[in-house]
Amino acid sequence: MNALQRHRKLDLVWASQPGFRGWFSSVNHTDLGRLFLVTAFFFFLIGGLLAMLIRTQLATPGSAFAGPEIYNQIFTMHGTIMMFLFAIPTFEGLAIYLLPKILGTRDLAFPRLTAYGYWCYVFGGAMLLASMVLGIAPDGGWFMYPPLTSSIYSPGINTDFWLIGITFVEISAIAAAVEITVTILKYRAPGMSLDKMPIFAWYALVTALMILTGFPPLILGSVLLELERAFGLPFFQADLGGDSLLWQHLFWLFGHPEVYIIFLPAAGVISTVLPVMCRTTLLGYGWIVAAAVALAFLSFGLWVHHMFTTGIPHMGLAFFSAASTLVAVPTGVQIFAWIGTMWKGRPELHLPMLHLLGFFVTFVIGGLTGVMVAVVPFDWQAHDTAFITAHLHYVLFGGFVFPMLAGIYYWLPHVTGRKRNFRLGELAFVLIFTGFHVTFLAMHWIGLMGQRRRISTYLPEDGWTTINLISSVGSFVIAIGFAIVILEVILNTASARRGGRNPWGAGTLEWAMSTPAPSYNFASLPHVTGRDPLTDDPKLPHALARGEGYLATPGRWRETLTVDIATGQPDFHVIYPGNTRLPILMAAVTGVFFLSLLLKFYWTVPVAVIGVAVLVWRWVWALGRTEDLPAQDIGHGIALPNAASVDRSPGWWGSLFLLTANATFFGSLLFGFAFLWTVAPGWPPPVWFTPSMAELALGIAGAGVSAVAVRMAIRTIRQGGQPMFAVGLGLVAVLILVAALGLLMLRAPSPDQHAYGATLLVLGGYGLFHACLTALMFAFLAARISRGFTSAARRAEFAIVRLWVDYLAIVGIFILLMAHLTGVTA
Amino acid sequence: MTDVLRILIAPLVWLAAFSAVYGVHGVICGQGIETMPRALLVGAFILTIGLQVAVLAALYAPRFASPSPFVRFVSQATGWVGLVAAVWTLFPTTVTTYCM
Repeated sequence: MNALQRHRKLDLVWASQPGFRGWFSSVNHTDLGRLFLVTAFFFFLIGGLLAMLIRTQLATPGSAFAGPEIYNQIFTMHGTIMMFLFAIPTFEGLAIYLLPKILGTRDLAFPRLTAYGYWCYVFGGAMLLASMVLGIAPDGGWFMYPPLTSSIYSPGINTDFWLIGITFVEISAIAAAVEITVTILKYRAPGMSLDKMPIFAWYALVTALMILTGFPPLILGSVLLELERAFGLPFFQADLGGDSLLWQHLFWLFGHPEVYIIFLPAAGVISTVLPVMCRTTLLGYGWIVAAAVALAFLSFGLWVHHMFTTGIPHMGLAFFSAASTLVAVPTGVQIFAWIGTMWKGRPELHLPMLHLLGFFVTFVIGGLTGVMVAVVPFDWQAHDTAFITAHLHYVLFGGFVFPMLAGIYYWLPHVTGRKRNFRLGELAFVLIFTGFHVTFLAMHWIGLMGQRRRISTYLPEDGWTTINLISSVGSFVIAIGFAIVILEVILNTASARRGGRNPWGAGTLEWAMSTPAPSYNFASLPHVTGRDPLTDDPKLPHALARGEGYLATPGRWRETLTVDIATGQPDFHVIYPGNTRLPILMAAVTGVFFLSLLLKFYWTVPVAVIGVAVLVWRWVWALGRTEDLPAQDIGHGIALPNAASVDRSPGWWGSLFLLTANATFFGSLLFGFAFLWTVAPGWPPPVWFTPSMAELALGIAGAGVSAVAVRMAIRTIRQGGQPMFAVGLGLVAVLILVAALGLLMLRAPSPDQHAYGATLLVLGGYGLFHACLTALMFAFLAARISRGFTSAARRAEFAIVRLWVDYLAIVGIFILLMAHLTGVTA
Repeated sequence: MTDVLRILIAPLVWLAAFSAVYGVHGVICGQGIETMPRALLVGAFILTIGLQVAVLAALYAPRFASPSPFVRFVSQATGWVGLVAAVWTLFPTTVTTYCM
């Protein structure tokens, strides 16, 4: 088979459906990555237009351009769009497009999940845009502090759009994070051990793990605030045992890591692009990996530095001030590693390099003002002034937008397959760089002169007029720069000349394929022996196209292989699902769920929940087969077992990381309970939960027996038996736990009278949801056994259910003990 | 996965200990605990340092260290990060007022 024949056969198997239909049924990472990026930049344009409106309003004193109500919506939506609908999805889009290519594989771990995440993002983002068009957009600032956003002070639907819309969009972030984590750990080219992973993959891995542990506190906060607004559960009302500071803790537990979730992927782009621009290799690869990990962890210890003015005791302030200064160290390690890379190489001033230099100047200034605001007395002076707005723009624009512009120009030839021949980008860089510093240096100054952030107008006597005007002029210069970038990208995509492969002479694997990338990425999968496979072997692309790698013979299926996490040795053969509209359908039904909550059509909520459950059932069912697959030949004399025949299948890894996010959600809920109990005014509650040893014992027994039953089932299936009895036992045990948790919710003190009752209701609801989910899983296993879908060589689903059952047993027992024992101690 | 855990363990211990000490501080101030609060906080600080030293020692010990030189280097570097972070961020337990 020659290269062209191989290409045709592979494309037949891997390509999305042609035309418009393909948009809705594609599960291909290249298509979805491009869609993600285009959609994210569409939102960036809208966020940018809103920024222009803000600067128009503030350009002159006493401006009548927008009234305060509309102005509040404008700045809230600007922040919300830039943070949730542009920055994070841009990372997701880039990672989805790039990771399989740079890791030397054919697709991400869960292609349908990629599509589901994309459509959740589109539908959730559309909800927020619709609110803006209707003039009922969120208006409480992008961090939505109660009590301003409680139903008492914000009775309209505006805040609900934010809480529900953002939670919907965050499904997309969690889905992408699970996808990215499992892909990086398991879906790499053979031979790619951890020390040979491209540096972008390390950054993406750290970022994805941060999303899994950083986003759940905000999802919890949004759920609690929406429950308070919709049903009067007083989590944030001080007179009923709640505390508005709880929101600030939950929000910033997410919000500060969020800054690094935005910066780290950009740092990955810098670490990838900079060595190529400098014709050298990255200096201090190991140090950079360690610094990225350190930065990720330290960033979770900084959240209270956003709350220095809330009256926290000195020792608390000192903890977080110390942590905030410490985080500068790993950031500095990376900066010095990049400077060292430039020093040892021969930098060439191509357009991506210009943007990288723009990053250095801007980000270092932003970092230094960050150290300033980490110092408590300075923060007390600068808090909530325009100085903070300027600081965060230096960090985020410098630390994300400039590197992403470098990335756009670096990978544009890969996406389009064309050579850049319109030289507009250099002019755009000058305008963006100059405009940015004019806008935001001025904003530092005006902040130190006392201008508060988020004010809709000011008086001529304040003395801020000239500086604000300069700042506004600068912002319009930035806008012109971005207009030129868009024009150039469109011109290049539409009309530039075809380019050759690997125009930058890079060493990473994404350039080892024809461009634009074929649907299957690699005609055969490479064997990696170093960090820069293309530098080591410039003829690698031709060898792969000739079928000299792994999985060179196109089959009936979309197939790839997984590797051992540490060594990169191939371990299993994987078969992917094909094109399907299931993800968009499920995202739409998920959207009905959120829309029903938003519009308070509560009768459609259970309909949507059942709809999602049915679709999930179908989703998982489609993966099964009724016959055992023999070990598959992957070439070079190696045969691998199918991933469905083992306990640690891709689904097991996906569940493990989803449960990591889930456990963080539960941990945040426990933190909230402890915080209210120890810190909030209005405690103890007027009524405590009445404990029942019978219910407690029944619930614990149910949790324990379900965990034993699933183990019995696994042992039976391994021995070649059919474990229907064990699965049935597990189902009954889980239903007993359902009853115990249901009784807890029914007997909890009135949830609208005190935060204690409200917290017990949410804890019980969390446990009940997981118990119902696990019951559904046992029912699914029973159906699979009865239809002949399981055997000793098709047992992966049992191990996945075991993970969920164990998790349920732990949280179920914990919840029951919390409720009943608090009642006993009271 | 063991290698990934080796890299993550020390900063993870720091994060857990840092949150726990902040929680202890919250309980002391929120509940008005008056029995040796400073000793409790400094004890937690010393315990955290002890834990970080133990983790770091384990990352250097042949029995627990990774066979991969790269993972060994990165895990030891993050081990030092955990120790330095523990000393630096929890040092205020020894000097600042706790409930003012």
